[in-house]
Amino acid sequence: MKLNWKAGAISALGVLAAAAAYAGAGGDADSPITNLFNEPVTPIAHTVRSYWIFVALITGVFLILPQIILFWCIAKFKDAPGRKPATFHENIKLEIFWTVIPILVLVVMAVPSYPIIKKIENPPPADMRIEIIGRQFLWEYRYPEFGDVRISDEPLVIPVDKTVVADCTSADVLHAWWVPAFGVKIDTVPGRLTQIWFNVEEQGWYKGQCAELCGSLHSQMYIDVRVVSQEEFEEWIIDRGGTIPAGNSLAQNS
Amino acid sequence: MSLLETPPPGSSAQPSKRPDFPETPHKAVRLPGGILGILSSTDHKVLGMLYLGLALIGAVFGGAFAGAIRAQLTSHDLEVLSPEFYNAMVTMHASVMIFVVIIPALAGFGNYLVPIMIGARDMAFPRLNAFSFWLLIPAGGLMAASFFVQGGAAAAGWTAYPPLSLKEYSGGPGVDMWILAVHLAGLSSITGAINFIVTVMNMRAPGMSLMKMPLFVWTWLVNAWLILIGTPVLSGAVTMVLLDRGFGTGFFKPALGGDPVLYQHLFWFYSHPAVYIMVLPAFGLISHALAAFSRKRIFGYTGMVWAVCAIGVLGFLVWGHHMFTAGISPELRLWFSFMTMVIAVPTGVKIWSWLATIWGGTIRFTVSMKFALAFISLFVIGGISGVWLANVPIDLQVHDSYFVVAHFHYVLVGGAVTGLFAGTYFYFPKMSGRFLSEKIGNAVFWLFILGMNLTFLPMHLVGVQGMARRIWQYREEFAAINHLISFGYLGMAASGALFIYSIIDALRKPKTCGNDPWGINDVQKSLVWDIPSPPPPYNFDKIPVLKGTASTGG
Ligand SMILES: [Cu+2]
Ligand SMILES: [Cu+2]
Ligand SMILES: [Cu+2]
Repeated sequence: MKLNWKAGAISALGVLAAAAAYAGAGGDADSPITNLFNEPVTPIAHTVRSYWIFVALITGVFLILPQIILFWCIAKFKDAPGRKPATFHENIKLEIFWTVIPILVLVVMAVPSYPIIKKIENPPPADMRIEIIGRQFLWEYRYPEFGDVRISDEPLVIPVDKTVVADCTSADVLHAWWVPAFGVKIDTVPGRLTQIWFNVEEQGWYKGQCAELCGSLHSQMYIDVRVVSQEEFEEWIIDRGGTIPAGNSLAQNS
Repeated sequence: MSLLETPPPGSSAQPSKRPDFPETPHKAVRLPGGILGILSSTDHKVLGMLYLGLALIGAVFGGAFAGAIRAQLTSHDLEVLSPEFYNAMVTMHASVMIFVVIIPALAGFGNYLVPIMIGARDMAFPRLNAFSFWLLIPAGGLMAASFFVQGGAAAAGWTAYPPLSLKEYSGGPGVDMWILAVHLAGLSSITGAINFIVTVMNMRAPGMSLMKMPLFVWTWLVNAWLILIGTPVLSGAVTMVLLDRGFGTGFFKPALGGDPVLYQHLFWFYSHPAVYIMVLPAFGLISHALAAFSRKRIFGYTGMVWAVCAIGVLGFLVWGHHMFTAGISPELRLWFSFMTMVIAVPTGVKIWSWLATIWGGTIRFTVSMKFALAFISLFVIGGISGVWLANVPIDLQVHDSYFVVAHFHYVLVGGAVTGLFAGTYFYFPKMSGRFLSEKIGNAVFWLFILGMNLTFLPMHLVGVQGMARRIWQYREEFAAINHLISFGYLGMAASGALFIYSIIDALRKPKTCGNDPWGINDVQKSLVWDIPSPPPPYNFDKIPVLKGTASTGG
């Protein structure tokens, strides 16, 4: 409930708080909404979340101020017998002021986004690499470093606290791999490789969804990610007929 | 007070010197009446009303499609529609609302008002004008007919991204028909835009310099340039899809060396400016309503003109913000991100200038004014969420989620449609000689505003929570909020029905309006309110010659 309230406040849309409470009440413990504000679980998600709050606070001023002035005018400047309208229709200083100030604010807001884009673009050294392939209408995952284990239409399994770099592509149309709690979304484009990375801090189930219209069952391309301990992950790989490479950075770290 | 002035004999601005405009009194002119007269008319006012009528019919269909979408989404696991038909509804809702409702409605106001506002008797090319309008009928007809072909209407989204829109994944002729409809609508837009540019540049009455033109004329001039530059690129892009589908080319097929992302560049080169094409003339409409009902002149006219021009230019430099997740390079992402944020500055200038316009005025809360005031409030919300989306890190999170759906509906419904309502209530007495009922209008307004916010405000929240766009079913967590959203739709639908009733009701009453039905022209000083309601054929007996004062009202 409290977490949903936060998302509402971030949206700076008061009416939503009620809707959020209503929605939260219907929630099911087994199906948590793993959104960026409830539970950011990767370094990117944390960064994006705080940057988003920063942007929301700054833009909040420009969201609220015009509304206040508007309602002030509505309340104050009603037509009434004997009232005369003002006759001013320009004020160069005022106009320069409301052109220049927003430019400065935008610069202040936009500059910090650059290092964040860089962080998202440039993954740190990978602990493991996987491949994500979109296909009408399921997700296929491959683990080339682990005896080329391939799974499709079942949850992606990855170890906790490891930097996972994923190369993404599509076998047919455009899809988009989106897990809100990870703070990442990437289109899978046939004929192209796109890349994302995440380092999940907490074990658990994370949910997502194909975000790019990909045909009739676009809505059914759910994404589930199981984040497990290192041991559990290795067991799972072997269970699937894979191998744990000797000297693999995963093994060294654990 | 009249703006019209008989020029002194021998004056260089004497209209009789212009061979185009014989000084015959045009009050005597009778246009052919009846259905045939309307169908064969090249009169800008008749065509303007035909555009508006078409938009109203289109809105009934587009609104019904939205109703089907909301019926399916009322809860998380319904099967009201098949997934294929749901996707067709999503595609056609957008296509109809854009190509048959908003763009034609703004063209309707443009056709009707621009010649009058600049003191001309018609558009520069009246027959081309009729051609532009009548192209829209087969365009709409093709979209409607595509529901009945094998495979049904196009279901690849209004964006028609390949490979989904290619033959392998959208087999039936639906997409081909959709492409041809876009061609026809595009041709209509392009010829219309040429007509507007030529009209405004060449046919202004003596004394009406560019910087004296009413803001609505300015917004349409910039708009026409956007259409002229952008639309051919869209036509080219969908033609390439058509060739890929039927003629073995591989522009967008990776297997043949093509690139699906290229299509996105071409598509958004038109379709981002299209947002301004749908909203700039609405800016113009509300500028006039706000000034008129505050009994003031528009604040910062010069700044407003430059802001519209700046929005027009910047609008072509930002298309990539629709492609932040498509794997384009970080430098490109940064460029598109910064440029998009920069657009907030001229847009802000407009918002502040509108607020300064009503500041200190004596506000009359007519229905038109209420819609114009609501426009400011709603457009600010859509603008701010746009600034969020311009930030790459935030966009990567909410791109293709319901947050985006919320954002562009605040811009297009809260902006364009609210502006169209304001314009309709404002200019209906001029066009028809009758007032729309203010009593029914108040119900239309409140149902619309409550319904609109109940529909689109909660979409921000589900979007942030992780609900993707264009999905037919969704995770159970989002069901509660979607109940509310579907409920909000009913408010908007009721508002629309009342609005149509109100128009029919008003048209059955006798014409009672004089030249200046709102009693505003002592402040507005506009040609629109200087001639009878409705204006006679060819508008002006003599081409007006403007006195030295600015005619910036509407
Ligand atoms: Cu998909
Ligand atoms: Cu999809
Ligand atoms: Cu855009």
